[in-house]
Amino acid sequence: MSTVSSRIADDFAAAEQYLPASVLSTERRRSALQALQAQGLPTSREENWKYVNLRPLEKVRFAPLAARTGKAITVADLPPQLLGYARYTFVDGVFAPELSSAVDRPGVLIEPMRRTSQPRPAVGGLEARQSGDLRFALLNDAFATDGASIRIAAEIDCPACVELVFVAATDSREAASYPRVDLAVASGARVGLIERHVSIGNDANFVNCAVSISAARASFVQHYRIQQTGARAQWYDTLSADLAESARYQLFSVHLGALTARSTVNIQLNGERAEVDLYAVSVGDARQVHDTYARIEHIAPRTRTSQSFRGISSGRARVAFNGKVTVSAGAYGTDSRQSLRGLLAGTEAEIDVRPQLEIYTDDVRCSHGATAGKLDDDMLFYLLSRGLERETAQRLLKWAFLEDVVAKIEVPELRRQIEQSLAGQLKEAAALQELL
Amino acid sequence: MLKIENLQVAVGDNDNEVLNGLDLEVPTGEVHAIMGPNGSGKSTLAHVLAGRPGYRICAGSVTLDGRDLLSLEPEERAHEGLFLGFQYPVEIPGVNNVYLLKAALNAQRKHKGLPEVDAFEFLTLVREKLQLMRIDESFLSRGVNEGFSGGEKKRNEILQMLVLEPRLAILDETDSGLDIDALKVVAGGINTLRSPERSIVLVTHYQRLLEHVVPDRVHVLVRGRIAKSGDRTLALELERRGYDWVTEEAAVPPAAAGAARAKGSSSGTGRAV
Repeated sequence: MSTVSSRIADDFAAAEQYLPASVLSTERRRSALQALQAQGLPTSREENWKYVNLRPLEKVRFAPLAARTGKAITVADLPPQLLGYARYTFVDGVFAPELSSAVDRPGVLIEPMRRTSQPRPAVGGLEARQSGDLRFALLNDAFATDGASIRIAAEIDCPACVELVFVAATDSREAASYPRVDLAVASGARVGLIERHVSIGNDANFVNCAVSISAARASFVQHYRIQQTGARAQWYDTLSADLAESARYQLFSVHLGALTARSTVNIQLNGERAEVDLYAVSVGDARQVHDTYARIEHIAPRTRTSQSFRGISSGRARVAFNGKVTVSAGAYGTDSRQSLRGLLAGTEAEIDVRPQLEIYTDDVRCSHGATAGKLDDDMLFYLLSRGLERETAQRLLKWAFLEDVVAKIEVPELRRQIEQSLAGQLKEAAALQELL
Repeated sequence: MLKIENLQVAVGDNDNEVLNGLDLEVPTGEVHAIMGPNGSGKSTLAHVLAGRPGYRICAGSVTLDGRDLLSLEPEERAHEGLFLGFQYPVEIPGVNNVYLLKAALNAQRKHKGLPEVDAFEFLTLVREKLQLMRIDESFLSRGVNEGFSGGEKKRNEILQMLVLEPRLAILDETDSGLDIDALKVVAGGINTLRSPERSIVLVTHYQRLLEHVVPDRVHVLVRGRIAKSGDRTLALELERRGYDWVTEEAAVPPAAAGAARAKGSSSGTGRAV
């Protein structure tokens, strides 16, 4: 057993007594831990894990806090609230009612997991329908402290619905944070979910997030995820989604923060004509590592997916996106597109974009494009020839590179906030003011 | 205004010179046309003047009002009042037209020590030029040249030129790909910019544009140098007879090449006679 594995076992033994059974039963936690110990945590030798530095895990205390300690957090410490959305805030994985504002809507049931006793799936692959790399989700299952359970009833239309704010406020030597989301959308319903991850203070947080989404027939889920944790944070994440017939899932994923951020996305299109659009933006600087592994499985016929990734890497950062699409034997009529583009903005920076296709049937339309490179010379010369200073022109082109995907964000206020953050991350906030 | 002497240019690491001892002078206030067959070096000349990377200047000089142009960065040339109308305007999704127009105008104003343009004055100015170029206002909020048709791109180039009011405009095949109505609009735009303080160089294959923008001088570029110069009737003659006869006239035995160049530089410049 590796150092990290035995550490996890020890931390679990110490924490087990205070882990809430209302979130997951002791039995299920133990079997998740066993499954994790059997599989082992990922290592950098694995092809799909080679970009992330897993070393710092050796110093993490994996147990969550038994009870929230000292640090007082106020609403002013959080991102500005978006009009119309019910906000649920979780501090170090535990619901914080004083930082939340519920909105009553018929057919929309949002509950902190601790407070409900309704049956709930484990995220980490205990249910047969889930596949993919779920090891970090198993870790979440073992230690889960709380989370948001969201149920949208059939035919309910709630496009501006829920905003979840997960705040990391503790150092990894002290405790870990386990955000958790379980979203079930009944047939014909529409829901808009915003999920933010932030840090308060400058601790080296350890966050391990698990999200499970199930979209019933003809439902429509718009899911915005914004990872802006602190500069020293380690942020791990597993998202599993499965889609029934004619269900539609749009995932917007924005990575700006953390020292290390790894997102593992497993999406299954189980019903005919299900559709998925994945838009991902990642901006890394200094020594940041952003790594997204997205596995999309076309299982039913006539399903459609698109993946668009735009990443910028500056300083000594490493930004990676690995998009794997599999088309099962029965998934005839599949339509899959990938457009993965990386921009290198520093001589020591690294970009890795990798489209992968595995097709087990004929009659599919799959296209993929992947580029990694510097700014386009023709575009740069065009702007210079109009008198723009070189720095301004380069800044503008970086912006334009991201804007291509950022423009797809359909919540104007959220888009504005993200654009502000992007400009900040590009260290061009003042210069790009006019564009915002 | 523009003075080019013995300009020799190669592309990248290639030893073959694309411009091969080119001499040209465009006095202030004049419109000159540069014509020539494919591959004669017309577009290279336009790019070199604007400072596009990828070309190697082997010899010669280019001055704009006495100032050495070749030592300036592309943006500095723009600040000095040079404008290149692109043969293939570049699409830049994510940067909108109106932002580029404003940023370009303000870059020039900054260079001249002027404050940034007032937002209201700017919009009034742009609207006026839009009308002139028959471009719909909705184009302003679109990405630069993004999804524009060939003709729309060319009109957009002229729009930028009208807003920036350069001292020297080099228009690289601005007429190519235009239908007859669009050609008239583009020509109208160019004509409004004609003035005693400004010079315009039209790089073109065909005589067509010159019916609407009448040049003071016409030069024929063959194998990287000016082979023949004349008034506007030369363009008509080229239209009638093609380029072959000029090419043949320019084909001199290697031994006489040096002498021919010396001769060419006196008779072949664009100096108004």
